[in-house]
Amino acid sequence: MTTTATPTGLRERLEAVVGHDHVRTDEGALVTFSMDATPLERGRPDAVVFPATADEVAGVLRIANERGVPLIARGSGTNLSAGTVPHRGGIVLVLTRMNRVKEVSGAELVAVCEPGVRTIELAQAAAAKGLLFPPDPGSQSTATVGGNVAECAGGLRALKYGVTRDYVLGVQAVLATGEIIRSGGRLVKDVAGYDLRRLLCGSEGTLAVMTELTLRLVPAPEASGYGMAYFPDLAAAARAVSRVLASGVLPVTLEFLDQVCIGAVEDYAQIGLDTSAGALLIFGQDGDPAVIERDLERMAQACATEGATSVRIAESPEAASEVLEARRAALPSLSRLEPLTLLEDATVPRSRIAEMVEYIQEVARRHQLKIGTFGHAGDGNLHPTAVLDPADEGAVGRARAAFGEIFARAIELDGTITGEHGIGLVKLRYLERQLGADHMALLRRIKAAFDPNGILNPGKLGS
Amino acid sequence: MTTAAIAPDPVPERRGVFTAELLDRCISCGFCLPACPTYALTGVETSSPRGRINLMRALETGVLPDDDPTVQEESSFCLGCRACEPVCPAGVQYGELVEEWRDHLWNGRGRPWKVRPLLWAVDSPRRVRAMGIVRRHAGRGEAPGPVNLMLGCFERVLYPRVSRDARKLAGELAAPAAQGCCGALHAHNGELGRGRQLAQRLGEALPGTIVTTSGGCGAHLAGVLGGDRVKELSQWLHARDGAVVGNPTAARPRIGLQDSCHLRHGLGVWREPRELIARVGEYVELPSAAGCCGGAGSYAIVRPQDSARVLDRHLDEIAGADLDLVAVVNAGCYRQLQQGVKRRRLRTRVLHLAELLAGVK
Repeated sequence: MTTTATPTGLRERLEAVVGHDHVRTDEGALVTFSMDATPLERGRPDAVVFPATADEVAGVLRIANERGVPLIARGSGTNLSAGTVPHRGGIVLVLTRMNRVKEVSGAELVAVCEPGVRTIELAQAAAAKGLLFPPDPGSQSTATVGGNVAECAGGLRALKYGVTRDYVLGVQAVLATGEIIRSGGRLVKDVAGYDLRRLLCGSEGTLAVMTELTLRLVPAPEASGYGMAYFPDLAAAARAVSRVLASGVLPVTLEFLDQVCIGAVEDYAQIGLDTSAGALLIFGQDGDPAVIERDLERMAQACATEGATSVRIAESPEAASEVLEARRAALPSLSRLEPLTLLEDATVPRSRIAEMVEYIQEVARRHQLKIGTFGHAGDGNLHPTAVLDPADEGAVGRARAAFGEIFARAIELDGTITGEHGIGLVKLRYLERQLGADHMALLRRIKAAFDPNGILNPGKLGS
Repeated sequence: MTTAAIAPDPVPERRGVFTAELLDRCISCGFCLPACPTYALTGVETSSPRGRINLMRALETGVLPDDDPTVQEESSFCLGCRACEPVCPAGVQYGELVEEWRDHLWNGRGRPWKVRPLLWAVDSPRRVRAMGIVRRHAGRGEAPGPVNLMLGCFERVLYPRVSRDARKLAGELAAPAAQGCCGALHAHNGELGRGRQLAQRLGEALPGTIVTTSGGCGAHLAGVLGGDRVKELSQWLHARDGAVVGNPTAARPRIGLQDSCHLRHGLGVWREPRELIARVGEYVELPSAAGCCGGAGSYAIVRPQDSARVLDRHLDEIAGADLDLVAVVNAGCYRQLQQGVKRRRLRTRVLHLAELLAGVK
């Protein structure tokens, strides 16, 4: 990290827009905004700005555009693909002051909020009115709605409820050139113009800065129930998943842990898992209690039919909490094995999960790495997680090579290099392999149309 | 993470300010942000646990110098409440890191001048005894027993009734007056070595089990002497009596609790005081009960304005719940809440848990 002074006059101009107290250029602050939740990646910004309104955002964007300074929008910084790392310097635009939930309407099933609202706060505001905001990424207690929309975050309920994009009804956004636009609104049906709100969802801060979101809510389910099953190997668990879905059940939860994860969780949390099993499947349903009972029974039956060595349905909320504990503890347990944890999100069609996880283990063996895989069995979203010993100097290089092979394989299996973490900085080089040259060229033309001077999160998607 | 558009930094030289295993634990996930009171006040990453750990890392690798104003400011702005620890999936021991941080920055001339007389006062057991001599605390010229009551340093001066009431609740507690300070104040204010030394010395003065009425002291002492020897009063009473439900009196007062941060996050004790309160009144869980009240040891003295800002939410909730009583389990919280309640002219009384239990026994 090299130390350079703030570009001449930049601080003063930013202060004129957001006020003296909401611009940081001290070296210490720049250090803390030079990274997000992605290991190893960093870049020192020139200034950090905290706007409070869409007009202030527009003012900052005009300055950035006029001076050709990169601008990186950021919420809480929980990004896992270095999407909010300012690797080319510039202005980090932090939206956490814009944190008002403006409306939660039970009659219209919509919520309107600013981008800096934490996802859990929105979910709680909805729950207070008997409503559900379904997207529940692992970082929901910290992450912001704006960040979740910009990344199109997934979560544990995606199979049944979809992902963030399925809940974005409308956005207000500031263009790179400072104009404020709206796309969509409160309507379920609205086909006037290109569907820009969906284009902005998952655009990773490269097309515009969203300043207000209108989100769809659904009635909260009455209850939920969970069960778990052990399998001798992952292939059997994967067959059980297919059988569950073919049996007319659309479960809210279908999570799995491979043998490495089961061992790590048991070592750390000691919750009585069977470490001899090849895979653990956690299944759940929400809705009407009678439907839950019927579906859990069907899912348990499907697991037994596919050779589960043991199946258990949680009889009480406490027992359900124990069942879910294994999944919740997966990442903490892996991250305590070694201080450096690389978490990925390669995703394949669910019929290929077993094949993919076996390949991941083969790659791990070949590169002498410890990789545990857990994830969302229902939607094929895997989280292969490499735990690296910092004393092993070649480990980072070997892990990068291993993940390169894992991504290539995911693409061959009709999968994707990223299910929910985003392309960011770390996966841009794999994107063309998945999309092809023509598609990449179109992305760049779209980027240029939105951001002619290339100031919004440059060097990432669309670059 | 798997490809680098920019190369990762070469492994930098370490200065040895921090224990490497402690500093390396953080995976930067950011789960600590919503738990941090100073992040809640500012919304600025730099004033969050993850931000501060990145400042520590910059200090450790020489990216930022010791006299960097942001590094200095954040080392003092942090309450040291450790609310970030239970929410951390990677098990970062943030409290230890802050102690090492301050030990490095504040040893010598860097220490805030306001804490210097406090540290001086409690540095010698003789001075601590002298401070308490005019107050009617439980200490007496007796030999230590198998289970000993710690009198505290400032607590014996400010709140002498606490130790008396603890004795009233448990006659088997010996309370030899010949005991000094536990050293927590030193450890939290940049004199880690001295803090550990004082804890050791207290352990020698009070052999056997030590029961403390202050969560902050309990966590520090347990860190040095081990959790087997050190028990906080509610923890010890609860283990002794179990969760016995007392006789519901005709009028059960509405009682809230202010957790002691280090008792809750350091020693994992939070259920016990709640169950003890429920014996004597209607327990009301305040939404912010588990959050730092801003007292934070010497913080209220060093940074009175920030301390008051942290306290505001607690006072709002106490007023809103119209409580009869709020119980505390730590001397610093006692002073903080008592002054806040007085300032706002609330009808709620602040009492130490020992006083509360002894008063209705």
